[in-house]
Amino acid sequence: MDENVSYPFIDTSSFDLIVVGTGLPESVIASAASAAGKSVLHLDANPFYGSHFSSLPLDSFTSFLQSQQNIPQKEYSSSIENYSQSDCVVVGLESRCLYSNFEISSHVSPESLEPSRKFSLDISGPRVLFCADPAVDLLLKSGASHHIEFKSIDASFIYTGDGRLLAVPDSRAAIFKDRSLGLTEKNQLMRFFKLVQEHFESVAADGDRKEEKRRISEEDLESPFIEFLNKQRLPPKIKSIILYAIVMADCDQDHPEISENLVKTKDGIEKLALYHSSVGRLANASGAFIYPIYGQGELPQAFCRCAAVKGALYVLRMPVTALLLDKESSHYKGVRLASGQEMFFHHLVVDPSYVVPSSSILSLTVDLQQKSAHGSSLAVVKGKVARAICVTRGSVKPDLSNLLLVFPPRSLNSKQVKSIRALQLGSNLAVCPSGLFLLYLSTVCDDAIQGKESLHAAMDALFTPVSEDNDSTSVVSKDMEGQTKPSLLWSAMYIQEMAMGSSDTISFCCMPDGNLDYCDLLKSTVELFREMYPMEELFPQTTAEKIEDDGDSLD
Amino acid sequence: MATIGNNNLNAKLVLLGDMGAGKSSLVLRFVKGQFLEFQESTIGAAFFSQTLAVNDATVKFEIWDTAGQERYHSLAPMYYRGAAAAIIVYDITSMESFTRAKKWVQELQKQGNPNMVMALAGNKADLEDKRKVTAEEARTYAEENGLFFMETSAKTAINVNDIFYEIAKRLPRAQPAQNPAGMVLVDRPAERSRSAACCS
Repeated sequence: MDENVSYPFIDTSSFDLIVVGTGLPESVIASAASAAGKSVLHLDANPFYGSHFSSLPLDSFTSFLQSQQNIPQKEYSSSIENYSQSDCVVVGLESRCLYSNFEISSHVSPESLEPSRKFSLDISGPRVLFCADPAVDLLLKSGASHHIEFKSIDASFIYTGDGRLLAVPDSRAAIFKDRSLGLTEKNQLMRFFKLVQEHFESVAADGDRKEEKRRISEEDLESPFIEFLNKQRLPPKIKSIILYAIVMADCDQDHPEISENLVKTKDGIEKLALYHSSVGRLANASGAFIYPIYGQGELPQAFCRCAAVKGALYVLRMPVTALLLDKESSHYKGVRLASGQEMFFHHLVVDPSYVVPSSSILSLTVDLQQKSAHGSSLAVVKGKVARAICVTRGSVKPDLSNLLLVFPPRSLNSKQVKSIRALQLGSNLAVCPSGLFLLYLSTVCDDAIQGKESLHAAMDALFTPVSEDNDSTSVVSKDMEGQTKPSLLWSAMYIQEMAMGSSDTISFCCMPDGNLDYCDLLKSTVELFREMYPMEELFPQTTAEKIEDDGDSLD
Repeated sequence: MATIGNNNLNAKLVLLGDMGAGKSSLVLRFVKGQFLEFQESTIGAAFFSQTLAVNDATVKFEIWDTAGQERYHSLAPMYYRGAAAAIIVYDITSMESFTRAKKWVQELQKQGNPNMVMALAGNKADLEDKRKVTAEEARTYAEENGLFFMETSAKTAINVNDIFYEIAKRLPRAQPAQNPAGMVLVDRPAERSRSAACCS
């Protein structure tokens, strides 16, 4: 809360684990390690929690992305100095650029988007939790769920080539109520869902001979899901719904650029089962998805609070400038903070936006300085994701506020080769002022220009820009069906690199991926924890029970 | 946020103040009737709850302690969210802790909800001979800033229950929730197996 830049002195200087960055993966690790009794120091250079997973007020969001784009190539000294007093070598730590092509278009005066803090914008949107997601289990197990309230996403839609939004019939009840499907289509879809259900029932009833014939064959499981759907003679509309709005495939399954992009049947039905077990899993959630009130930035905060309750030490606004390499063992054993203070660890976990010269390449010889300039260890970058946030007046579906929207590949134009997923959120999630809506869009892309063009096409299909000389409230334009399109007040678009997690002498967490959910992110985070602490249980049962309460249930 | 149902009010209460001012001790005295001379910095609970009967209603406090995150000014916005009440604690034997308490009040005015009931607690009132902050000074400050003021002692229990009762009395009774309540995840026993739940 003080504005001064003087860094605090930290009393303790040796920890079992030092975590740099407070993104969701780092926060889960910090909280799991604290729950396992490890001493943890958790640092972040930013004045806020969440790193790449935070939700920020409008002005902070803009300045964060601008600052991320302008990271100087050498923010900290990357030179390697001999550390006179001890047995350590100081290795400079650098930040790298994981965001690019940041652009903002504002169609209204800045005052009409005040106050800025009424907005809570996710940096890694769109993202939701499946109710049966491992994320929900992790929240419950860790006790982090006590700090967050959620709301259900009301409905999902799929964009059809002709500009309409079709409701996704994702459960038996939804199929029954659906008015866009014919009776034959309803039966086909119902039969297909039943087939998948029986397959899993049969797998669950392992060993029972009678059940075996109801199983999907091994051969089918390994073959592309699209072939399996074709075999079931499902019509194109139904296939598209299953592939892109339920299984959430990124690439065009009919015309894949490379066959690697094809979803296998076993993965497809796995996702379908996750979707179906999500519907109705939580008492108050009507659909398959939930979203945290105040934004997804609440998730890392909740895990950090759990860690703090278990004794982890938290220091925001504290950059790490260098690593300390032990001469003898060639292992990193400490970090140097911006305050100049040095802290020592057994394990180090860092945010993927840092670049660390690899200790394995370093030999303590004269040529080490040259080598460090190129041979560096960092989280591996794998692909890009284009993201956009729109502030709109009016919902894309007038009677609904929180909804999910999928544009299958090539539904907008032939250049749109990957699925685009969009999430609209209203003010009842406390993420924007009342009367306004946020709409997040993302698409995985190989090329920044292509990714951004696709997102622009989606935005054009959904919104009317507010023209400057017009009173924004009076602008109403209608689409082909005569429905009013919401007006677009403000938008931001950027490209984010998808760095994977890795672990060597130092563990890197992963960047937000291109998925809609947290499944893969948390899976790799849990793996990272197990590698670091193979003997420790992840959030042993007692941790969740220690909440002091006088016996009443929380809701 | 304070929510009502059948004359029962649920209210989140947050504690703020410098490390060592006695925040955790106040809570432990109030909730468990305990006092430890050397209370550890963190108390290992996400929050405590305690129910009070005030006039015709009961108020169930959900009391959040800082878990040490205030130490390096790293409290998360989550901490303030939806808080219906706050107790800002300082140590009467430390002028610095009083100065810091004023900063916490500013922070709350910036981050918290405007209808929040705020109490200023001058703790360690049993240490009269070491007093550095006069009750007068603190009372004047509190009045000017819309807080109510009490001197407390977690050690002797003076005014500890009183400050919580006073807050309970002042909580607005019929307050429309600022943000619509969402759901808290509850671990529901799986009455059906996960994978077999497909449109059953």
